[in-house]
Amino acid sequence: MKGLGNVIAIELKLALRDPMAAFFALAFPAVILWMKMRNGGTLPSGLPIIEAVVPMLSVFVIGLASLVVLPATMAQYRERRVLKRLRATPASSTMIFGAQWAAHMLLAVVGTAVLAVIGVFAYNLQGPVDVPGMVLAWVLGALSLGAIGLLIGALVPSGRAATVVGLAVFFPMVFVSGAMSARETLPESMRSLGDWTPMAPAVQAVRAGWEGHAASPVTLAVMAGIFIVASAAALKAYRW
Amino acid sequence: MTVIEINGLQKSYKTHRVLEDVTLKVEKGEIFGILGPNGAGKTTAVECMSGLRKPDGGTLRVLGLDPQTQRAELLQRIGTQLQEAALPDAIKVAEALRLYASFYDEPADWRALMDEWGLTEKRRARFGSLSGGWKQRLFIALALVGNPEVVFLDELTTGLDPAARRMTWGLIRDMRDRGVTVVLVTHFMDEAEALCDRIAIIDRGQVVHEGTPGELISKGHTNSLDDAYFALTERTVS
Repeated sequence: MKGLGNVIAIELKLALRDPMAAFFALAFPAVILWMKMRNGGTLPSGLPIIEAVVPMLSVFVIGLASLVVLPATMAQYRERRVLKRLRATPASSTMIFGAQWAAHMLLAVVGTAVLAVIGVFAYNLQGPVDVPGMVLAWVLGALSLGAIGLLIGALVPSGRAATVVGLAVFFPMVFVSGAMSARETLPESMRSLGDWTPMAPAVQAVRAGWEGHAASPVTLAVMAGIFIVASAAALKAYRW
Repeated sequence: MTVIEINGLQKSYKTHRVLEDVTLKVEKGEIFGILGPNGAGKTTAVECMSGLRKPDGGTLRVLGLDPQTQRAELLQRIGTQLQEAALPDAIKVAEALRLYASFYDEPADWRALMDEWGLTEKRRARFGSLSGGWKQRLFIALALVGNPEVVFLDELTTGLDPAARRMTWGLIRDMRDRGVTVVLVTHFMDEAEALCDRIAIIDRGQVVHEGTPGELISKGHTNSLDDAYFALTERTVS
């Protein structure tokens, strides 16, 4: 694991220097936040809408970083033989994977922080109520979706294909899982479909932590399970 | 002292046999050239030596290590410049050197290396903005950043203008003068003649001739390595 911190720092810098990645992870969610908050108001439960929008968009950011940006970076690196050059060094594939994941999750942390800052200053954001619960849910969400992103990055043939596959997985998922519109406002049919996506447990757990409810152990276990299975598959499928 | 010892190396891709039977020895501190036409198996042979490919048959020792079973140890002690390898476009020269240095247990001082190879003026330049000559210079520095005992250079000067090629030759001689063993894959005869202490000509997956440039020239009864190469491989210029 030598040099891990170094690789993470450099990969994060590279992601922030990439205009596409920076736009997707930082500016795009902020635009959606603004669109969602144009009417303001409360949810049927009486919850101010900002207290649902910021946590669910934080999962949206995780999804963008891990399902869209991460696989594209990995596939581009393979296509351009960046990975092959790394393979001729003592750096291990586990380290390269770990560093890619960590750098993209730090990108998501930055994106989430942007949302929270806008929320606090523009829309009187109060939460999260249960900070450790929210952080745990966020990290598990990042682990599970990040592992799926690594798997896509390991399987797709090219950088272009990675972007197509990533967006095709990401967009339907954010709509049905409640990362784009609050779950309670979705039609029942959409919600029950969304519950089968790997993003749904992340949305539920992060929002539960935000509002101070205990997250269900099942959602946390599902995320841990997805992480273990998808990351093992990604390591197995990995090509330099 | 023998640094690389290869006996009867074989490698096939699916049904296509690339390496038929490669046998050669590389001695410590020499620049060893591997010459041959495109598709002769030069790159495959070097990739086997640096642990990037698994041979199908034969024995192979680099610094006394098996590149397959002792890969981790070997990678700490060798440096590689791959054909058409790249770095992310947005990475800066100094970042790349520091990053690669961090992979090794006992790296060279990357700042000193950057200075020695004339890269300091470009330290803040992004990889994507460098010209071919600067990219190659960076690749050589990256191949050396782990303080290697053996360096593999695969078609280092392909695509460089004549001035950049000359400069690169000087850099490779400097490398040898510091005691590093250099394995150089090339298809430029003038390059092999100017640089190499010994040369192996590989054709159709076998070493067909081996010797110093002078030995190969007299073996071919010609005046230059270029003529000798065609005389020895019985190839005609079409």
